[in-house]
Amino acid sequence: MRTKIPLVVCLAFGVIMFAQYFSNHTIARAVYNNILEWWQIIFAFTLFVGVAAFIKNNLKSISRGKKDTPYKIVSLIGLALMPLLAIIGGTRIGSPFLWSFENMLAPMQATVFSLLAFFVASASFRGFRARTVSATILLLTALIVLIGRIPLAEMISESLPKTTFWIQSYPSMAARRAILIGIGLGSMTTALRVILGIERTYLRGE
Amino acid sequence: MDIGILVAGILTLAVFSFLYKDNPVYKAAESWLIGLSVGYALVIFWQTTIIDLLLVPLFSEGRLILIIPFLLGLMMFSRFSKKTSWLSRIPIALMIGAGAGVAIPAMLYARTLKQMSASVMPIIENGSLNIEAPVVALGVISTLAYFYFSREHKGVMGSTARLGTYFLMIFFGATFGYTVMSRMSTFIGRVDFLLTDFLHLIK
Amino acid sequence: MDRLRTRWIIFSGLAIVVIVSYLITIKFKTAPSPATLKAYKYLDTLPEKSVVIFSFDHEASSLPEIQPIALAMLRHAFKNDLKIVGLSLFAEGTAIGYDLLSKTAREYDRQYGSDYIFLGFKPQYISAILGMGESIKRVFPEDYLGNMTDTMPIMLGIDSYDNIEMVVSIADGDRTVQWVEYAGARYNQKVMAGLTAAMITSYDPYLSSEQLYAVVGGLRGAAEYENLLDKRGGGSRGMLAQSAAHLYILALVIVGNIIYFRNRRRGGGG
Repeated sequence: MRTKIPLVVCLAFGVIMFAQYFSNHTIARAVYNNILEWWQIIFAFTLFVGVAAFIKNNLKSISRGKKDTPYKIVSLIGLALMPLLAIIGGTRIGSPFLWSFENMLAPMQATVFSLLAFFVASASFRGFRARTVSATILLLTALIVLIGRIPLAEMISESLPKTTFWIQSYPSMAARRAILIGIGLGSMTTALRVILGIERTYLRGE
Repeated sequence: MDIGILVAGILTLAVFSFLYKDNPVYKAAESWLIGLSVGYALVIFWQTTIIDLLLVPLFSEGRLILIIPFLLGLMMFSRFSKKTSWLSRIPIALMIGAGAGVAIPAMLYARTLKQMSASVMPIIENGSLNIEAPVVALGVISTLAYFYFSREHKGVMGSTARLGTYFLMIFFGATFGYTVMSRMSTFIGRVDFLLTDFLHLIK
Repeated sequence: MDRLRTRWIIFSGLAIVVIVSYLITIKFKTAPSPATLKAYKYLDTLPEKSVVIFSFDHEASSLPEIQPIALAMLRHAFKNDLKIVGLSLFAEGTAIGYDLLSKTAREYDRQYGSDYIFLGFKPQYISAILGMGESIKRVFPEDYLGNMTDTMPIMLGIDSYDNIEMVVSIADGDRTVQWVEYAGARYNQKVMAGLTAAMITSYDPYLSSEQLYAVVGGLRGAAEYENLLDKRGGGSRGMLAQSAAHLYILALVIVGNIIYFRNRRRGGGG
């Protein structure tokens, strides 16, 4: 029962959502709309499960008095703060909730991401070597794109940005397109295997 | 100075301190960021989904059918007990099944067929040779050959696959170039904030 | 030279190059790429009061790069008196979208509810995108501020993609792909994108197959759009620093390779 019920549910909803693509019947549309709504609601609950697990793990870590306890406490305070601010002042413009987002969350996240600029620079120096023909092609393409997309390139020669666009629009695009076709075919077969119950990793291998 | 900019500036510098080395100030900022992110998502999900799509329609409008996704959603919490955790597979199965069902036509039409048909371009266009047409066709076929593992990469297949790797290298190179561009832009954005809003060095 | 020292030199060099070049003001004329020009021309020729969806499908992490693009396109849309329906398929895009939309609307004296609306966020993007093809008001019964969507003047006569001219997805990942593959393929909805530079090459096949109408990519794309719009913003301001950073990386690659080949000739490897 523990395996069969999920498999039946997966099959039923998979078939319904596939079949509705070919029907415009009122009942088919109503069923389709309901399932789309249910999907969103259930998905939201998965986030709450994640939040509950986050709180549980942090509390466990704090109760054990590990070295990183102060940081765990900081995380939990941050977690509690946002809902509290939303309850007190709402989420409109000028609310403390939006203020916290704009002045704490957004700048910190953008800065964490901007650290990558330094590591990309370091990697360019250390790892970007013309060791083989393939590596040389990669390196040359990267250098052409790097120069071709700055305003300076247009001052040097108009053909520089044009070459960049040509590389991007044809040979590079062709390789990406082949990857996309491969992913498309792979996703389709995996989706079929999931619906038919052959692929069951979501049941933890049962 | 605006208190918001002051806070944002201090937190920005706290995160940048990681470039010196991993340190308690950075760790505290990182933990604060994680907590705020989770709390923020909690508020947004609660407000836009649970209230708007579930509680209001269920209790104010009396749409009783919504009891089903409500119960299925609650089943997700069964994961916290070993005895009942299997129940969470039912809502997961629903989401995976529905996702697989809608993905098949989308993947077939939008990703595979459309991309394949776009790969066939006229070689002669308006009386002149369209050099891009063979480049694209060759690029797509040779890259697909590289990812085709059911036959050994020898002879014609081997050379085609090797050509595919060169096309892939061009793609990776272009992507690397654009990724550098992207990362630099993000850093420039933070420099803009620090120099303009925080330190007032630029007006 | 030990690894740590080299790292320090590279890091300090990048910081100095970007900061110094940012302090210098040089106005570049950035020629638009074909994709940016196509996006600009489309919004420019759209009749007044046409409805455009702006979907903020990104996180705060990419804000410095993506906000100038969104701002330039929003300014263009408000300037041309287009009606804007804002939404987000990323939780973090919600606050960003609402904030940006409200502030830009104020610049052009546009009214909430009649000239623009922000519907907020819905999780599970595929189901949200497909659901809007059936009924936008069903997916978003309330807007971000808690107003009933069907009572808002802007939403009168709008209930599915049939009433939407274009979806502009401002994205830092593959969310635009879902717009193309679900709204585009199933409901024939036109889609264009404002993307981070890192994502540009991933979208080239969709652009080439015309499944994606146009792309404004990266800070450079923002600068091009600002130039077309004749309104200087974050993109144009960052162009000198962007150029300097690219040249710095170029120099690092060249120096790295010179050292590598010199060591290899000496038999020391890389």
